[in-house]
Amino acid sequence: MEERLTPFHFEQCISILKSTGKKARNLRELRKIISEVSDESIFHHTYQYFLKGHILEYTNDFAHWAGESLEEKALSEHLSNIDPYAFASINDLRNELLRVIDEYLKAFPEPRLAMKGDEFYFNETVTIIFPTNVIANNLAEFLVAIRHIDAGSIYFHFYEARMRLGKEADDFTRWIEDTLGKKELASEIRNIDLFMFSIEGIRNHIAGMVEAEVKKDMGTI
Amino acid sequence: MIQLSNYSGIAPKGDLISLYRLSERLSNKSFLHINSTKSGGGVAEILQRMIPLLNELGINARWEVIGGDERFFDITKKIHNALQGNPERITEDMWQYHYEVNRRNAEKISLDADAVLIHDPQPAPLIEFKKDGIWMWRCHIDVSNPIIYIWRNLKHYIRRYDASIFSVARFARALQIDEFIITPSIDPLSEKNMELTGREINEVIEKFQIPIDKPIILQVSRFDRFKDPVGVIEAYRLVKKYNDCRLILAGSSATDDPEGELVLNEVKEYAADDPDIRILLLPPFSDKDINALQRVATVVLQKSLKEGFGLTVSEAMWKGKPVIGGATGGIPLQIVHGVTGFLVHSVEGAAFRIRQLLNNPEMAKRMGESAREYVRNNFLITRQIRDYLSVWYSIENKGKSVLEL
Repeated sequence: MEERLTPFHFEQCISILKSTGKKARNLRELRKIISEVSDESIFHHTYQYFLKGHILEYTNDFAHWAGESLEEKALSEHLSNIDPYAFASINDLRNELLRVIDEYLKAFPEPRLAMKGDEFYFNETVTIIFPTNVIANNLAEFLVAIRHIDAGSIYFHFYEARMRLGKEADDFTRWIEDTLGKKELASEIRNIDLFMFSIEGIRNHIAGMVEAEVKKDMGTI
Repeated sequence: MIQLSNYSGIAPKGDLISLYRLSERLSNKSFLHINSTKSGGGVAEILQRMIPLLNELGINARWEVIGGDERFFDITKKIHNALQGNPERITEDMWQYHYEVNRRNAEKISLDADAVLIHDPQPAPLIEFKKDGIWMWRCHIDVSNPIIYIWRNLKHYIRRYDASIFSVARFARALQIDEFIITPSIDPLSEKNMELTGREINEVIEKFQIPIDKPIILQVSRFDRFKDPVGVIEAYRLVKKYNDCRLILAGSSATDDPEGELVLNEVKEYAADDPDIRILLLPPFSDKDINALQRVATVVLQKSLKEGFGLTVSEAMWKGKPVIGGATGGIPLQIVHGVTGFLVHSVEGAAFRIRQLLNNPEMAKRMGESAREYVRNNFLITRQIRDYLSVWYSIENKGKSVLEL
């Protein structure tokens, strides 16, 4: 009897925004609050770049504020270069943010003051996860699903999973590798440069790679 | 009657799925909304549409409006202005009257519900009469820089709620209660935002006798100084030196805004006898007229000096119009500068951006298309209902940062 594969269940999440009531007027205050604010707040300001829907100049809110409100462009470049998905925990990411800011403060110890109303407001998110009822039993079904699933579902499985699972892998490549045994395809998908594409760009990339694999399986190429 | 299924193909699929999931958790529970006007302004407008949709989801939703006399609304308008930074004097006697009118309303309105959402400062004292359930205070105005002693008086009520909801993160204040951020929304299927045929648009244009021989600059808003209607006329006059165009200032009055007439007269006086400026005082429920005006406009302005959110921005963006907005309140959340429109800080800035859009129709078209998509993903009513239900569900599961449905 043929062994039945574990299907892929597509889930999705939404975020509700909460204010922490904390705000920073300059870089030293920003540093202090980053060191003490909740993990949820660090997560909100760093990991959710991809939910904004279009490629931005800066890859996290701290970098955006440093560049736009403090006009510290070099600092914003340093902060933008931090890849939140490269860290196993939010605390490691927090420490890296602090390290970069400390380095900058050593060179430029007199930080500017943001204009009134332009302070950095620390928020955090409550995440609500729900199933979409879309299930893929094989790679062909996965291809159809990835083409039509809501962008929020791609965000949840492709980006957020890396933080949720505390490793480099996302849900898609874990299933493709562990369940389907397609190591090469998994590796190809895993190597997509996260920061160079919007969610729709990532969707197209994954769909293209999976389609090529399905065609290969069918012997059409 | 509009049903949720009508939003399929218009609202993002994920918003609709999450709405059904949340409603499974909250079905048969009751959800009471209270504000102070049945018509005029964005709050009443969205509640008219939201309540039936909540009921369709199996939630027992109802909407109550508190009553009050002229003195009450004079006081609450002063509170409103002071919370937006305008110096006002509210005496102890006036605060007492504010409370007293709410006490009388509490006797008439049933406050029994599993979740109660109180909109804005007018009915805020109703918290004193809370019996049971989750109570949330929803602030629709810009309180980032209030007259502080007036905010303190109001805070006396607010801190007794289970949670507060602000439209923009910058408006949230230290309250020692949960503070959520939920942006308002537009209904793409309402008379104000639905698709119109060319004939329907022409009927409106003919009704108001607006020639369409020149590009039209439009601002739709109440006649309120914070909307800077005089600044809009000044910007139009600067543009007129280079580009022939018409200006339409269109707005209706609200029952809770006694200042409207005064400002309207100021604006009329400032417009003087310029035949290319049209000031339209529209009766309440002129939604189709506003829809048509937004569709016929070449450039839409929302040059507010203070703004709770500025839903007219999203309305125009939904119609594929590039909007030039004051960089204040919730407007920067809607306008991504240079992508979905332009943010400006002065009359001169507004005039320059109008000229840019009038002289570069390709850029205006591209921005308008981005604007519509941005509204689809962020500012439709389905997302706002989803957020209200999420906050309710989150308060029921207080302390958890990840929840499963």
